[in-house]
Amino acid sequence: MRQAGTYSGISGRNNGPHSLPLARIKRIMKGSSDEVKMISGDAPIVFSKACELFIEEITKRSWAVTVQGKRRTLHKEDVASAVVATDVFDFLVNVVDSDHHRSSSGNSDKSDPAVILPETRVL
Amino acid sequence: MADGAPASPGGGSHESGGDQSPRSSNVREQDRFLPIANISRIMKKALPSNGKIAKDAKETVQECVSEFISFVTSEYANIRIPVCVCMYISGYVEMEGDTKGSAKGGEGSGRKDAVQSGPNAQLEFMSCLTVPTNSLIVMQLLHQSSFSQGINYGNSQGKWRKLDGKMDEANNAVAVVPVAER
Repeated sequence: MRQAGTYSGISGRNNGPHSLPLARIKRIMKGSSDEVKMISGDAPIVFSKACELFIEEITKRSWAVTVQGKRRTLHKEDVASAVVATDVFDFLVNVVDSDHHRSSSGNSDKSDPAVILPETRVL
Repeated sequence: MADGAPASPGGGSHESGGDQSPRSSNVREQDRFLPIANISRIMKKALPSNGKIAKDAKETVQECVSEFISFVTSEYANIRIPVCVCMYISGYVEMEGDTKGSAKGGEGSGRKDAVQSGPNAQLEFMSCLTVPTNSLIVMQLLHQSSFSQGINYGNSQGKWRKLDGKMDEANNAVAVVPVAER
C-alpha cells in the first residue's frame, strides 16, 4: 500500500507551514494563462511540494556540474548547463538562455555576477 | 536553518526586486516569483554542507520555478476537464459501483452514464470540476497515489487519505488522460 504521508511530507506536519507560500504559487498559476480560471485549494499544496522537489532536483544537477568544474560555488552557468543537459528541463532552456542573454547584453544596474565572483575568492 | 546561514538573503523577495525583469515589467516581481529566501533554503538542503550558492544561481532557479509552475499549469489546463473527469469517473465508478458498462466508454457519451451510475458519482463529478487537471499531472510527477484523494476530498484541505485498493486503478485512469487528449 502506498501512502502519501510516508515520503511526500504533504500529509504530515507540513500541513501547516509550507516551505513555499501557497498564495504566491496560486498567483503564478493564475498569471500563467488566461485559461486558468479556478484553482482548487489542493493545487497549490501539491505545487509547493512539486516545486520543492523540482528545486532539489535542479540544484543537485547543477551541483554536479559545479563539482565537475572543481568548484564549490553554484553559479548561474552551472544551472544553465544542468538545464541544457537534462531532457526534462527542456522547457527551461528559454529561461536560461534569455537569462544568459540578459547578463551578456549588459544590464545597466547589474553586471555579470560570474565576473564579480571568481572562484578563487570563494575558495 | 536558512536564515542563519551566511549566504541566505534574509530579506525575502525584495532582494531580487525589480532590477532585472526579462519579461513584462508591469507585473510586480512578487507576483511572478517565489520568495528567494525559501528557494535558497530548499537549494541548500540539496547541497552538501560545504556547498555555496551564488546569488545569480538562486535568481535563475527562482525564475525556473516560476516557469515550472506556469508551464505545468498552462500545459495541462488545456486538457478538457469533461474528458478527463469522464475517464476518471468511468474508471472510478466501475470500481465503486461495479458498473462495468460505463467504464469502457470514456468518450462523451459514456460520461453521463458514468456520472449517473454510482451513488456518489454525481458528488464526485462535481468535486472533480473544482480540481484543476494540472494537479493530477503534478500528482504523477510526485509519484503520488493520492490522486484519488484529490478528487474525492477535493474540498477538504490537507487530509491526504488513502483509498484502499483503488489507487492503481485510479492512477491508470489518470494516466490515460493526457494521451487521450493529445
